Parts: sequence; C-alpha cells; structure tokens
Amino acid sequence: MHLVMISCTPRAVKASNTAKILEKFREGYESVGNTTETYYLAERKSWEQIRVAYYENEQVLFALPLFVECIPGIMMEFLESLDYERLAQMQKKHVAFLVQGGFAEASQLRCCEKYLNMLPAYLNAEHMGTLIKGDMFSVSIMEGDARKKMIAPFVQMGKLYAEEGHFDKEKVSEFAKPEYFSKRIILLSGLFSPLRKLVMQGMAKKLGCKGSLMAKPYQRYVN
Amino acid sequence: MRYLILSTLAKEDEEVQGVLKELKEQGVQISYINTNEKQISGCIGCNTCWLRTPGVCAINDDYEQILIRMLQADRVILITETKLGFISYKMKNVVDRILPLATMNLRFKDGQMRHYPRYKKKLEMALVYKGQADNVFLTEWMERVCINLSFTSLGAFDMERKGDLYHALGYDQLHAESC
Ligand SMILES: Cc1cc2nc3c(=O)[nH]c(=O)nc-3n(C[C@H](O)[C@H](O)[C@H](O)COP(=O)(O)O)c2cc1C
Repeated sequence: MHLVMISCTPRAVKASNTAKILEKFREGYESVGNTTETYYLAERKSWEQIRVAYYENEQVLFALPLFVECIPGIMMEFLESLDYERLAQMQKKHVAFLVQGGFAEASQLRCCEKYLNMLPAYLNAEHMGTLIKGDMFSVSIMEGDARKKMIAPFVQMGKLYAEEGHFDKEKVSEFAKPEYFSKRIILLSGLFSPLRKLVMQGMAKKLGCKGSLMAKPYQRYVN
Repeated sequence: MRYLILSTLAKEDEEVQGVLKELKEQGVQISYINTNEKQISGCIGCNTCWLRTPGVCAINDDYEQILIRMLQADRVILITETKLGFISYKMKNVVDRILPLATMNLRFKDGQMRHYPRYKKKLEMALVYKGQADNVFLTEWMERVCINLSFTSLGAFDMERKGDLYHALGYDQLHAESC
C-alpha cells in the first residue's frame, strides 16, 4: 500500500510537532512493507504538487495540529482549493486523519474529531478514522530522549494503521487517554499551579522573552 | 452596547448590510470590519504571542486592529460563508489569530485544562453563516472557542434564520419581524 501523508500545520517544518510525529508514524507504517510520500502545507510553493498527489492517489492521511478547537485555517484553505467537480467523478479515496493538540485530555480533541467525521463526505471520500492525541505542545521544545519518548508511540500507531487499514475507535481512545483528568489530579494541579507558572516563565526567558507571560500590551483599549 | 461586526463576505452583501442596518436601528454602536479590505494572514503557529512577546503577534498586519476593536467591544458577530461544512478559511484564519488573547499559563476550568485569559474582559460572541452546515456542530464549536478565552458564546446562526440571532441578542421585536 502507498500512503500520501499531508502535514497541515502552517508552522515551518523544522519547528513543527506534526512533522516530527508524522515521521514516527511513517516509520511504523513502512515497517510492514508499505511506502509513503510526505507533503507539508507550510511549503506553499508545493501546493500544486500536493493537489496532484491528492488527486492521483487512493490512500491519504491528513496530519494536523488542533487550532482553536478545529482544523487550522491553512488546511481549510488547501481543502477549499481542491477541484470538487473532478473529485466527484473520481473513485472514492480512503482518507484518514491524525490530530494532535496541546491540551492533554482526549476530550479536548473531540469537537475537531466531530468535524473530521463529517469532512470526508464533502471530499467524496471514505473515512478511515481519526487518530487523536493531546499533550504534544512541547515536542519541538524537548530535546533528545525526552522528545523521543513523547513521539515514539506513533510508530506503533503507524504500524497498526498499516495492518488494519483504519483507525479503530476504541484503540484510539486507549491511545489518547485520559479522556478527562481525575478530580484528584485536578486538585493537585491547582496546588502546583504557581510552580508551573514559574517553569513556564523560565522556558519563555530562554526563548528570549523579556517581560511577563501575563503581559497586557493592549490593556489601554479594554473597557 | 458596542458591537464589532466582522465579515468575510463580499462588501456589497445585502444580508450583511441588512444586519448592520437593523442593529443600528436598535441604537447600538457598531464597528464594522470587512476582512476583504484588510491584510490578514493565517497564524503561522510560531507561539511568539505566548512565549516571546506575550500578547503581541509576530505577524505585523491588519490583525492588530481587529484585536484592539475586540477589546473595545461588548459583542462580536462573526459573519462568514461555510465551506465543506465549516467556516471558510478566511474566517478560520481570523479566529486562529485570536491566540494573543490567551496566555501560556494554564488552569482547570469546568473539568478541563484551559488558558488563563490575558485580559479581564467580558465579551459575547456569535457566529452567523451563509451556506450549508451542521448547526449543532458549529454551535458546539463556538461554545468551545469562547470557553477557551473566557468569553460567552451567543450561538451559531444560519443567516436564513436571522430571527434566532436577534432573539439571542435580546431584540425580540426584530426577532418577530424576521420570522
Ligand atoms: C493558533 C493555535 C491554536 C491552537 N489551538 C489549540 C486548541 O484549541 N487545543 C489544543 O489542545 N491545542 C491547541 N494549540 C496547540 C497546538 O495544537 C499544538 O501545540 C501542536 O502540537 C502544534 O503542532 P505544530 O507544531 O505542528 O504546529 C493551538 C496552537 C496554535 C498555534
């Protein structure tokens, strides 16, 4: 089987979490004898090439970061640019999605998942399922083993997708858990909140941030 | 009551003109932005507005005006066309750029992890769309967008059911006239 993988984040490939995750997914998918080709919407010059790859292949995986509870604007723009008369005349493609987000709970990705359940019908495609996973915000900030550990589980998911041909709902929920955090963890998290803020502020300082993370540059307009 | 009406539809769109006129007749203050006359690029996901220059976007374009006018408004009405059952990319780009209003600091709210909002600001938001869409989905999406920013969602409304919008805004006479 040959899979076209399209990364749908606007973020530059080098800095992108989606790209790193997709790379692991690819490893697993190819480990059982499959082939892939990967494209990045962030590389705008290649959009015509990506459209051609989309039209000419039967198996497509869209990988995206959660952007304000749904798909990123750039992905919407790309999808809007497809030729729908042409798609209507073509054989139905198999389309699957991989969505990853910053917040950790699986429940955070469910709204976007609902949209992705509807989307294939608009594309005249068959939906092969949606893989969701939270807590991915710091993939690119992490280095070495810490990063490896975060994204390694996607190798297994790539292999599973290759073997099963779709994402199984229950296995996805297992992979993406917790759906919600327990009351106990929420309580503890409240206690650790000041510490977390300090850690975050430290991280920002490393990135060149001079002021407070809670800065209010437009406060004078608020009324 | 101060409104910000933000539309991605053609400038001459009669239904948008109608909404503007009808709201004006309610004696409210309206600030209107048509995104087609503005330069607004999509978010590039760089996290600068959270981590490097908190509250300020790395892209220097007309978006700053939108952010400012949002902070000045009591209510924001987003008007757009639907594409593939969702809002058009033009409006999604506008919504994605809202990120500087959230901060990197997180907390739990109603059982889920959320951002601390950057400003103490009460704002109500409504989405009005033209075209086919699943209203239940768009309503849920708006709800979630607003929770994240500590705003209140007034709902998602099909332009063909404008009366429902007026009802949600509390203008029952307009509501009656539109039905
Ligand atoms: C504009 C924008 C909106 C985002 N909205 C959400 C969100 O609604 N929920 C969430 O869990 N994460 C959200 N995130 C976090 C990203 O999904 C997360 O950091 C992801 O790993 C980024 O992947 P990338 O580096 O490939 O762009 C958002 C990030 C950006 C830049």
